[in-house]
Amino acid sequence: MTWFAWRQFRSQALVVFGLLVAVAVVFLITGPHFASLFHDLKTCRAKGDCESITSSLTSGQDTYFPFAQAFSLLLPALLGLFWGAPLVARELESGTYRLAWTQGVTRKRWISTKLAVVGAASMLAGGLMSWMLTWWASPIDTVNADRFSSLVFDTSYIAPIGYAAFAFALGVTAGVLWRRTLPAMATTLAFYVAVRVPFFHFIRPHLLTPVRQIRSLKNVGNIGFERTPNGLSFIAGDTNLPNSLNFSSSVVGDHGGEVTRQWLRDHCRSMLQQVPPNPGKGVKVTTGIRPEAFTECVDKITAAFHQVLLYQPANRFWTFQWIETAIFLVLAVLLGGLSYWWVRRRIA
Amino acid sequence: MTSALLAVDLGKRYGRKWALSGCTLDIPTGHVVGLVGPNGAGKTTLLHLAVGLLSPSSGSLMVLDEAPASSAEQLGRIGFVAQDTPVFENLSIATHLQMGAALNPKWDEQLAQQRILELGLDPNQRAGRLSGGQRAQLALTLAIAKRPSLLLLDEPVASLDPLARREFLATLMEVVAEHEVSVILSSHLVADLERVCDYVVVLASARVQVNGEIENLLSTHHRLVGSRRNLDNLPESAHVIEVSHTDRQTTAIVSSADPILDPSWSVEEMTLEDLVLAYMGQAEEQRRVLLRSNGGAK
Repeated sequence: MTWFAWRQFRSQALVVFGLLVAVAVVFLITGPHFASLFHDLKTCRAKGDCESITSSLTSGQDTYFPFAQAFSLLLPALLGLFWGAPLVARELESGTYRLAWTQGVTRKRWISTKLAVVGAASMLAGGLMSWMLTWWASPIDTVNADRFSSLVFDTSYIAPIGYAAFAFALGVTAGVLWRRTLPAMATTLAFYVAVRVPFFHFIRPHLLTPVRQIRSLKNVGNIGFERTPNGLSFIAGDTNLPNSLNFSSSVVGDHGGEVTRQWLRDHCRSMLQQVPPNPGKGVKVTTGIRPEAFTECVDKITAAFHQVLLYQPANRFWTFQWIETAIFLVLAVLLGGLSYWWVRRRIA
Repeated sequence: MTSALLAVDLGKRYGRKWALSGCTLDIPTGHVVGLVGPNGAGKTTLLHLAVGLLSPSSGSLMVLDEAPASSAEQLGRIGFVAQDTPVFENLSIATHLQMGAALNPKWDEQLAQQRILELGLDPNQRAGRLSGGQRAQLALTLAIAKRPSLLLLDEPVASLDPLARREFLATLMEVVAEHEVSVILSSHLVADLERVCDYVVVLASARVQVNGEIENLLSTHHRLVGSRRNLDNLPESAHVIEVSHTDRQTTAIVSSADPILDPSWSVEEMTLEDLVLAYMGQAEEQRRVLLRSNGGAK
């Protein structure tokens, strides 16, 4: 049965693995160039011309990366659509199930072998793509230092193996329930997106309790004021934490409370007096404010307030990869079990 | 003696509609059985139950003394040719044979190869490119090379032209003669069955109307023609299947184990077609009566 499961799947497999070979060729041609640029970058500090190297590294990124990452991001969905959904649906649709299920092989063995062969191929394809991308993009990932960002986390390392297994099992289940390929493909795509997007937005940041850190505002970039309909309000940018997953940041007073307008009126009067009441459109917030007044106000804020950060630190990256991979593998097993049961018991 | 197919009060329901109900049959092995009935009578349902593609909603069914599709061995003992003879369109004939060899323990590769050769088919041709007749022959080859004890064929010749139909049935008869295999063959055309079958099951309105060896059935069914009258003076064992009157004459089809000796009847022999049509007509008449009485109840 294993041979026949592979034989029926062969042409579909060749298309996907052919694409992966094409990607590998592109990576092998362009990869060493990035790697040597990165090598230069590590030694450039002595000579001092780091900027041009960094810019050619990131401009290379702009040319190739969107395609590579999009492909790695889409691949599991494609596997679900073109390997998963037709697996059983096409047999039911074309009537060949009547031939397949009346050979000297029980239906139990038929469905379990098919799930195993094509499921393993899906995980292999997802894993290969991820592995190639991880290798190829490692110089740029090191420079960018944002491994936890969705474009890196979701396309590299081991998580794509889980996504591929999940998408495949989702496709099979949709095909078994619909008994027709086309609606099964549409359902697969819809559910896949409906699971992945909320997962990365809402569930991933909460998988472990985030680290809470209190920082002085002195280290924070992008400090300033924003004009709102009710006057000025204070803003502070995020502290740069390389490779971490930022959760939230807020400015809190040493005795609690935020930087309110009342506080600004009490403590930064000299600056506020310089703000034109109706500056008109397009006028910068700081227009008319003397730098000394601005600095004085910021110093007062820095003395009385600090930044509270909630984040997942860089050293949790692999823990998160394992957790997410495991979650999607479990979902895949549950869906696979449902298809297995349905084919054995309900299609009769 | 083993039964090719033993059904007790077998039924299959789709939603609220019974596709087959109250089906009790005991078909011994060693026959070529014609399963005949109008479209939608439940023939495909019965065959799909027999091969395990469907499971019963009521009653029980044993095929060659085992529950259908209960094991790989059981599946291997049954050759099935489904309606419209499905094949894998994008796989070649040779790959189909490889599939048969890989999936069936008793696969007879020599037989399969020889059949493809005799049919003049190119093993490298994709099955999707075959004509209807060739596809049916491929499906039959796959079923035969399993070396089954029982062959089930669902309307195998319905979509074939007369020549292909004759060739298909001829092949089937060769196989039966060579390999001592029991066959159950469904069709809505009696003419197809008359040539090859020695046992018949008439299905109509989701029920078995009559079944038995054709020879026995024909010797116990009679067409009576005589002057117009009531049918009161028939022997005890006689059942009236169908009766029609003209102004002067009464024609009746009766089943009776005893011979009809009343000299006022002229007793005519029946053909299989007459018999099948009589039972199908009876089923249709009962259905109409049932509909009318249901309508009256409302």
